Amino acid sequence: MTRSSSWLQALVRISPYTFAAIGIAISIGVSVLGAAWYWDLLLAGIYITGSSLIGAAIKAPRITSKNLISVIFCEAVAIYGVIVAIILQTKLESVPSSQLYAAESLRAGYAIFASGIIVGFANLVCGICVGIIGSSCALSDAQNSSLFVKILVIEIFGSALGLFGVIVGIIMSAQATWPAKA
Amino acid sequence: MTGVIEKFFITSMVMWMAPLAILYSFYYGYIPGASQLSAENKTLISGFIAVISVNLVIGFYICMAMKESPSSSNPQPDPKFLAEAKASINQSENAASSSTGVDQTSGKDSDQNKGKME
Repeated sequence: MTRSSSWLQALVRISPYTFAAIGIAISIGVSVLGAAWYWDLLLAGIYITGSSLIGAAIKAPRITSKNLISVIFCEAVAIYGVIVAIILQTKLESVPSSQLYAAESLRAGYAIFASGIIVGFANLVCGICVGIIGSSCALSDAQNSSLFVKILVIEIFGSALGLFGVIVGIIMSAQATWPAKA
Repeated sequence: MTGVIEKFFITSMVMWMAPLAILYSFYYGYIPGASQLSAENKTLISGFIAVISVNLVIGFYICMAMKESPSSSNPQPDPKFLAEAKASINQSENAASSSTGVDQTSGKDSDQNKGKME
């Protein structure tokens, strides 16, 4: 069968395994970036929470035990990325080469890719959010300990953002089925 | 302080191991009835239970941390730092009074001087 070459053909002829593998890499790589380091000019996760906590604890050592909760929230963001990466890699299956570019194969590859992107970027912004709130929580708790619980409630809402991404990512990957060996 | 670090470390380890254990036990058949699920349902159920387990561990750690009684309301400065700071203030006062021969009433030293005069 002859096809005219076009950019659409170039896109469709990329192996679905490529998309699936990139999706898995993004789900864990970008999640950990949000949990720990920084994105653009925004400091994320444990980077900002940890340094604010250590700095504030110089004058108010009592804040350490409670404010480690913020670090735990940031770590949970990375763990969501790990969970989804493991789920996605169990969805990879071999298909015979005749079926590699069948519609169902492409669908499965794209579903795994999309799931990885969903989880990765949701956890990225969730990590930035929880990190900055956790940093403010440590600094305000050092000044006034009655503020801690109020800011913790805001932090719980912030961590729910990552949870939404994980739920949608898991649902998206659940229906990634490769064609059966014909 | 070591108790705080220990609790944090144990919570982190459990937070990593619990969801991984749940995922692998679903896929390697340690859960009775898991092998009869379709692949789609297995993914959904194992994924949701793993995420719920992470949140349960976080909730448990929050309860443990909030139950800890506060150690003291006022921060206590490090005694060695405090002794060195007092020594340097005394040293600068002695140097200033020996050079000018009058009482110094600068802002930093006002408390020290009030104590001496009383």
